[in-house]
Amino acid sequence: MKLGNILVSVLSLEAIALCLIASFRFINIESTVMLLIFNFLFASLTFQLNGTLSRKLSMLILGNIIGLSWNFIFYFFEITGTIQFGKIFDAFYTLFNPLLNLMWIVSFWSLCLAALPNIRNVKTEAKA
Amino acid sequence: MIEALEVLFLLLTSLMIAYLTRHYIFTLTVLKRAKQTEKTTLLLTNYKPTVSILIPARNEEKVIERLLQRMIELTYPKDKLQVIVIDDASSDSTGKIADKYSGQHSFMEVLHRDKTKGGQGKASAMNAGFKHSTGEIILCFDADYYPQKDIVEKLTREFKDPKVGAVQGRVVVLNEPQNMVTRLVALERIGGYRVDQEARDNLGLIAQFGGTVGGFRRSVLESLGGWDESILAEDTDLTFKIYLAGYKVCYVGDAECYEEAVDNWKAYSKQRYRWARGHMQCCFKHSLKVLKSRNLGAKEKIDGLLLLNVYFMPIVVLLSFVIGVPLIFFDHSMLVGALWFSVPISLYSFVGNFAPFFEVGIGAYLDGRTRTQCLIPLLIVTFFYNIPICTKAFLDLLVSKILRKDSNIWVKTSHIGNGNSYIVN
Repeated sequence: MKLGNILVSVLSLEAIALCLIASFRFINIESTVMLLIFNFLFASLTFQLNGTLSRKLSMLILGNIIGLSWNFIFYFFEITGTIQFGKIFDAFYTLFNPLLNLMWIVSFWSLCLAALPNIRNVKTEAKA
Repeated sequence: MIEALEVLFLLLTSLMIAYLTRHYIFTLTVLKRAKQTEKTTLLLTNYKPTVSILIPARNEEKVIERLLQRMIELTYPKDKLQVIVIDDASSDSTGKIADKYSGQHSFMEVLHRDKTKGGQGKASAMNAGFKHSTGEIILCFDADYYPQKDIVEKLTREFKDPKVGAVQGRVVVLNEPQNMVTRLVALERIGGYRVDQEARDNLGLIAQFGGTVGGFRRSVLESLGGWDESILAEDTDLTFKIYLAGYKVCYVGDAECYEEAVDNWKAYSKQRYRWARGHMQCCFKHSLKVLKSRNLGAKEKIDGLLLLNVYFMPIVVLLSFVIGVPLIFFDHSMLVGALWFSVPISLYSFVGNFAPFFEVGIGAYLDGRTRTQCLIPLLIVTFFYNIPICTKAFLDLLVSKILRKDSNIWVKTSHIGNGNSYIVN
């Protein structure tokens, strides 16, 4: 592994860790769990596909930032809803939060796959 | 009361997590396999058994000609080939088209069934064709399918292994660009064949015979008594009979055949209802036998049971949602909150195989389907659509079991030949 790659990996891991800490500290445990699910799926499956490490890491960081922002928005929405409608809104938030989170996870995941160089194309290039 | 609901919720979500874990393992297996050097598949030229191809056809005038033309183009020696078209009481010109071809080619035969015997479902037509066949290997193709020229060689080479009782090739959607329904069916097929079947075959689990693009060793099919006409999913029934008899089904991923997929939601729901109900019948019929079988290992038994119960999953997800909502509102414990995460992930799954979004995504990636991948978020639509279909199938089956009136009305999927324009020779 090149030194550059190691540096990029370490910095990326730090960025992801920061996102996770921020979600836990400033939002709630549910948002951290959703980010962990995303990171687990992305790291275990997408990292095995073709494409440079820096591209995959960039996607992973971008995903964490999107997830963090998404959860921030819905967290503020939950606070506003709870002030307006009382504690019952909190239950609604718990109910729909994973579903809403899956919406960005699945969409982002499918876009990332489309952005990675295809396994068939790589094989054809290698043969040529 | 709350405790009882919590226990039920725990059971249902555990089942969902078991399926998600299973499919995660499938995805990892296929990815690992794809990274390895491609296995060189030699076509064993010295193994050329006699082959009978059965083509059941009922009112298929718009699609059958392209398949019969393809039968002529097959590279398999024609002196070892017998093609039997079973004209199952068609009211259109299917029989005449088949007669025209059989008149020109000696290896083709047509079996006409009149209205008294015909029209009783695919299993009945297949049994009639099977009685008429002579080949050592029996292959079957639906009339709307379009196989590769060398598909017979690819499918039959696996029968060299005496443990192989049946083979299954890969189904690819021919009319994928037609509309959103065909695109989603194509994604479903990718998840089901490129990942699910491939992984099950690699891991030594229960690879499934899908009713078409596959075949059997004659002696095995004879010993099993042919197709069960009382079951709507006769393919799943045969799959389990084969495994219970000590044989296995081999999946041949490079034997591709192109199908004309359903192109509207109404046809989709009819087809899925039939599959769901048939699969549930198989579940009632085989679950206990799978558990007791001495021919199956522990991992095969677990996979077999999960496979048999797959069409119950939309009902399980619906139930867990119904139970989960009051639990969250009235007793929001940490356990319920933690398990609640499995429900939305399950919603992004296909129903026929419970392939979650990550499995379908990886399958599409391995197939090089860049544009199709972008449709993966729409999996949630098909799942919601399938919940009432599977629930109705289950309730209908339950009522028919209670009333002891298990009437199976075979609702045939009609094909209008939209796939013809996508064939490029």
